[in-house]
Amino acid sequence: MEEQGSDSGGAAGAAPPTGQSGLDLIGLTKVFPGGTVAVDDVNLHVDHGEYVVLLGPSGCGKTTTLRMIGGHEFPSQGAILLDGESLVGLPPHKRPTTTVFQHFALFPHRTTLQNVEFGLKMHGVGKGERRETAMKALEMVGLVPLADRKPSELSGGQQQRVALARVLVTKPKALLLDEPLGDLDRLLQLRMRVELRNLQRQLGLMFIHVTHNQEEALSMADRIVVMNDARIQQVADPLTIATKPATEVVARFMGDNNILRGVVTAQEGDRLIVEDEAEHLRFSVRSSEARPVGSTAMIAIRAAAVTVEANGASDGPNSAECEIVFVEFLGDLVKLHLVAGSERMLAKVGAEHYPALRGREGEKIRISWKEEDVQLLDA
Amino acid sequence: MSSSSTPEPPGKDAARIALDEVEEAEAVLEQRPPRDEGALGEGSGNGRGSGWVTAALAAPGMIWIGFYLVAPLVIIVLVSFWTWTDAGFDRTFTTANYSELFHDRTYWDNMLSTVITSVIAVVACLILGFPVAYFLALKVQSLRWQIALFIIALAPFWTSFLTRAIAWTFPLMGREGALNQMLVKLHIISEPIPEFGFSTLSVRLAMIQLYILFMITPLFFTLAQVDRSAIEAARDLGANWWGTFREVVLPQTMPGIVIGSIFIFVLTMGDYGTVATVGGGNITSVGTLIYSKIGAVQYPQGAASAVLLVVALMVGVWVITRLSNLREDL
Repeated sequence: MEEQGSDSGGAAGAAPPTGQSGLDLIGLTKVFPGGTVAVDDVNLHVDHGEYVVLLGPSGCGKTTTLRMIGGHEFPSQGAILLDGESLVGLPPHKRPTTTVFQHFALFPHRTTLQNVEFGLKMHGVGKGERRETAMKALEMVGLVPLADRKPSELSGGQQQRVALARVLVTKPKALLLDEPLGDLDRLLQLRMRVELRNLQRQLGLMFIHVTHNQEEALSMADRIVVMNDARIQQVADPLTIATKPATEVVARFMGDNNILRGVVTAQEGDRLIVEDEAEHLRFSVRSSEARPVGSTAMIAIRAAAVTVEANGASDGPNSAECEIVFVEFLGDLVKLHLVAGSERMLAKVGAEHYPALRGREGEKIRISWKEEDVQLLDA
Repeated sequence: MSSSSTPEPPGKDAARIALDEVEEAEAVLEQRPPRDEGALGEGSGNGRGSGWVTAALAAPGMIWIGFYLVAPLVIIVLVSFWTWTDAGFDRTFTTANYSELFHDRTYWDNMLSTVITSVIAVVACLILGFPVAYFLALKVQSLRWQIALFIIALAPFWTSFLTRAIAWTFPLMGREGALNQMLVKLHIISEPIPEFGFSTLSVRLAMIQLYILFMITPLFFTLAQVDRSAIEAARDLGANWWGTFREVVLPQTMPGIVIGSIFIFVLTMGDYGTVATVGGGNITSVGTLIYSKIGAVQYPQGAASAVLLVVALMVGVWVITRLSNLREDL
């Protein structure tokens, strides 16, 4: 449905795409025995040095896509090209890709050093050389003192780093990460996001990272591929995904969006006026595509783009009088759960507004938003 | 393959995870206050009563082992040092039973052939059983099929030992048995093979079939525990099938191999029934020798033979654990 998204933001050390360089997924489809379509016609180009996150709810096909790139699942249709050469049909050990598995998949009977050495050993590297290379990799992730420990004697974060060192020594052209932070405690997860991204920048490697965590995707990716129900919904940089969701699915999945169904009531140039069915809310939105008056339209406004008006003054579009249902204080911000007519609305405002809002459930309040924050979703 | 845009091999020195931060985060996580064990009440943890609880829990097992294993063994050892009389034995200490046994050529010939039979059975069960267990545990994807096929593999155990042993003798084996007839009809052999009758070969073949499940079962359970994603990771890191098997699957299956080998070794060393039925009285083993001594009311001699068998078993088990370095894997 969606072609390649906008250009990636500043991938370190990556050459411009030549059509040959990088990873191409062309019409990639996976139908499991029994007829479940796990991946449906996925088209994607990833450059070397780019950090791409496949994001979506569980069962959306993101992991199956990753497993097809790694060779752990065979596509029913379509092509996978790396630097112009087909990977389809090659077993995992013959592909220039390696995977960091969800639960690390370390070898429990081997020490840290032996785990890291494994790939080199399997590639026939001599003992002395592979020990040296493995120790360098362990140094890189800071695990030299733990080289002789077994995985069961390591913490989650240390296991994660062994898994990274183990794949990096094989010098892959693309690193595939399947929920790499899923097994870590939250605090460690936040740190590892930064570390992992820094590592990728310094190595200049192509990373393809699968997650269901929106925040993780936004904070790490050059480009996010949002998937749902086996298909790509949107491919774009994190800012675009967060502020300009293309479809209702993306808007809902990214969370904290007000999604409303309405009818186009007027068109003036490239400006559309959309009203909800109860004619309580009016939006003006700029659209490059023409929508006939009377047609239905879905719009999205981020909760964070909704502001609270001091006084109920204006009555134009892009503002509304609401009833406060619940004031939810979250430390650094306040979520206002509102009702406008029959529509539920959500506003996220700074914590400094909390004293003025506390305990005002049931009262009326006027909210507004800017025209450029109204996003017209694909029909 | 190599295009100019491929990034240079990773400059490892340049890339370095800022570890202090991560360590710090982990340290914070590990410093979470330990759960208040006292709140769980007495009985758990370091209370004085825990020794008694442990003893009470262990008692039934200890009594069982004491009554059915230790006591009989002690009695057998005692009897083996008593003097044989026409009426059975009297309690005069003697080492004659053992010195007689050490000079008994027949006993040692039987010991040797029994050990050979057991080693053959262990190796054959391992070689034949491993693919079956591997298939069941790692190739069959659905748990339901796994259990169903495993139960089918166990099906021979639904019939009694004797039925199975006898089924081996006349209908299947023997000069005119099904096996010989089939091979002759298929023109694989021109004459029936006499060894398919009452022979050492028949006994060994029967033992492999009768005991192989004691190998398949522990292998199946250890193979089923092998982390499948570790197998995928090995493939991903460049290991072919053999490399994955040798480096990842086999080491993690070692406990199952050891337990299965001990099962087969101990069972076949002490086996008496298979030898007696499938061997048709022509074949002897340490087990049948002991049985005939007991039958002849030579209790002290029988006891001494049994004690040496137990010693041989212990040596065998020790060798098996040594060979596999089980302690390292546990």
